[in-house]
Amino acid sequence: MFGILLKKELMEIFRAYFYDAKKNKKRSKTSTILFICMYVLIMVGVLGGMFGYFACNICEPFSIVGMGWLYFLLMSMIAIALGAFGSVFNTFSCLYMSKDNDLLLSMPIPVRTIMAARMMTVYIMGLMYSAVVIIPAVVIYCVVNTPNAVVIIGGIMLTFIISMIVLILSCVLGFVVAKISTKLKNRSFITVIVSLVFITLYYVIYFRAQVIIQTLISNATVYGSKIKGEAYIVYMFGRIGEGDIKAIIGTTIVIAALFALTYYIMAKTFIGIVTSSPKTKKVVYKEKKTVKRSISQALFYKELARFTSSSAYMLNCGLGIIMLIICGGFMVVKAEQLRALLDEIATNAGSRMVIVAIVVCVIASMNDIAEPSVSLEGKSLWLSQSLPIDTWQILKAKLSVHIILTTVPSVICIICAMYVVKADIIMDILALIMVVLYIIITAMFDLIIGLKRPNLTWTNETTVIKQSFGVMIAMFGSFIYALAQGFIYINFAMNIPAWIYMVLDILFGIILAGLLGMWLKKRGTKIYRSL
Amino acid sequence: MLKIEHLTKKYGDKTAVKDITIHIKSGEIYGFIGHNGAGKTTTLKSVVGILDFEEGDILIDGESIKEKPLECKRKIAYIPDNPDLYEFMSGIKYLNFIADVFGVSESDRQERIRKYADAFELTSDLAQPIASYSHGMKQKLAIISAWIHEPKLIIMDEPFVGLDPKATHILKTMMRELCDKGGAIFFSTHVLEVAEKLCDKVAIIKKGELIRQGTMEEVKGDDSLEEVFLELEEESDNYNASKEV
Repeated sequence: MFGILLKKELMEIFRAYFYDAKKNKKRSKTSTILFICMYVLIMVGVLGGMFGYFACNICEPFSIVGMGWLYFLLMSMIAIALGAFGSVFNTFSCLYMSKDNDLLLSMPIPVRTIMAARMMTVYIMGLMYSAVVIIPAVVIYCVVNTPNAVVIIGGIMLTFIISMIVLILSCVLGFVVAKISTKLKNRSFITVIVSLVFITLYYVIYFRAQVIIQTLISNATVYGSKIKGEAYIVYMFGRIGEGDIKAIIGTTIVIAALFALTYYIMAKTFIGIVTSSPKTKKVVYKEKKTVKRSISQALFYKELARFTSSSAYMLNCGLGIIMLIICGGFMVVKAEQLRALLDEIATNAGSRMVIVAIVVCVIASMNDIAEPSVSLEGKSLWLSQSLPIDTWQILKAKLSVHIILTTVPSVICIICAMYVVKADIIMDILALIMVVLYIIITAMFDLIIGLKRPNLTWTNETTVIKQSFGVMIAMFGSFIYALAQGFIYINFAMNIPAWIYMVLDILFGIILAGLLGMWLKKRGTKIYRSL
Repeated sequence: MLKIEHLTKKYGDKTAVKDITIHIKSGEIYGFIGHNGAGKTTTLKSVVGILDFEEGDILIDGESIKEKPLECKRKIAYIPDNPDLYEFMSGIKYLNFIADVFGVSESDRQERIRKYADAFELTSDLAQPIASYSHGMKQKLAIISAWIHEPKLIIMDEPFVGLDPKATHILKTMMRELCDKGGAIFFSTHVLEVAEKLCDKVAIIKKGELIRQGTMEEVKGDDSLEEVFLELEEESDNYNASKEV
């Protein structure tokens, strides 16, 4: 039974790899293998390569002073942070919010089996993120030092133990969110706020990490002795990677016990959580004067309501909104340092404005609100198809929410950048146009991906918000487009006046936006009608 | 009001509906019955413009749904077999959304919401999110949203499923009132007793083909609709078997 449930859970997450929604049929084996290879290539190639490079830089200094355990401790902390961060947004919905809860509970399936299958899904998702850090770390350690069987066993056990820690942390977090949400009215917003606190902490640590790591490498022996003396358990954890049998057995027992306790509590409380309704006071309807809206306004507010109704949607697809505002604030607070840094990169204010505008575009690429908006229509798609609404109006509403929610914080951010860079007014206006145009283009691109790769039969919205291949294409596509602008400017256009580059970039953007808009209006509307 | 002319709809190689012709006049309640998978929902979805079709045409108040989809859709309301509404909205926000789409004035929508929500005893729940509604409550909300813009034609797929007896009675009354005012209703149902008492005309569909249609008297004669339906099903099976032989 566990196998069947797990297969169902995984089939939903990786559905796009096995099923072609466009042709409404199963993919061929070759196509499935190609898709999986592409995914692995991105995960291993991009993320794994990034952390492998990092491990390369720090492994030797630690190994030379005999502090291999401190190296593993550091890499383990990064792996745990990435693993927990990677699954923090979807654990709650993955564990408790599936639409098939009632169906599964009505079947002769033990609750512990349902929970085990769901936890296994969380485990696999966490493993995917933590493994791209810890496996390269183990491999690099084996390359730098002489590998033996004990070190290899230690590396394997460390990977396993870290993935279990990520699972336990994710489940505890999901459980806490579930418990809180049964008592809250605006749970979507509360979840967003709690998650944002986590994200802020994550980024604070991330930005300080380089200084901390540098200090740690320079004083490895001093800090190593301190940790060993005052936090022996932490020292033992790091020793796992070096193949310390005592550390492996001891940590495995502790982690196994913690896992058993987590699993017991999760299985025991599952029914109570999924069958409870929030303990909030029923709001009784009182007739109020209503305001008549145009169709466009009604559709816009409908899309906006969809976005703000789901914490998972807001966090996974709208994180850029917060990041842009934070970035703007950061620019103003650290204006002097930023000016000094920009002076080193570019010689004139115009060039500095181009670079800052591209940075704003990179941050704006974190938003992919339009991509899942088609799939999120789900079973209520019949409504927009049967109502007297022009399909282009529906698509425009989806684009508008993405564009407005990203443009407002981007404008705030670019105004802060203007204060820092102090370029002339023409450059300021051009930078503003460039950023807004970038947002329009990426919104259209995201919507096109959403139309080309729809999934209307999801049972858990996280599938289309976070785990779909379309979301990955949309995010990477927007990110690459922003980076490409920077790459072209720095490598080929630094010598021409910045305003000329900006004008050319804007002209290219207008043509691209026009083409994407035409595609959406002709092909996009046709696809939407035929869904 | 509604003219379905030689409608044929295929899903790939499979013909779901074949050469169906149905005419519904103003003031008529038209029942559509048939076994599961006979082609009822496909026909209804084609009428409301959700599904495209290969052959034939569908005219609503003289206008083709293929050529003028928006004009046609403005005159109709559709209630599907499963009321999957926008769960992230509250009941009142959903009703206002539908009213906005159809351009219903503030005063008209308030009056109609008050009238129908009170009738279905849903008023106090209108501020609640639709996600917290039971199946019956969602069905009631879908019905209110269909009536909120006073359409000329209402298309309903199994509208009585999930409704309590009182709500069923109210819906039947509303249907009759709408038709008395010159509107028309085309709905599918498995509840043959309801169809028999409520419908002016009825059509029976089997395996995508109409096997009988007409006024209730023409279709059932002195028998009950259930007897006629079962008899026709059997006859059709025998006919098909002999054709194969």
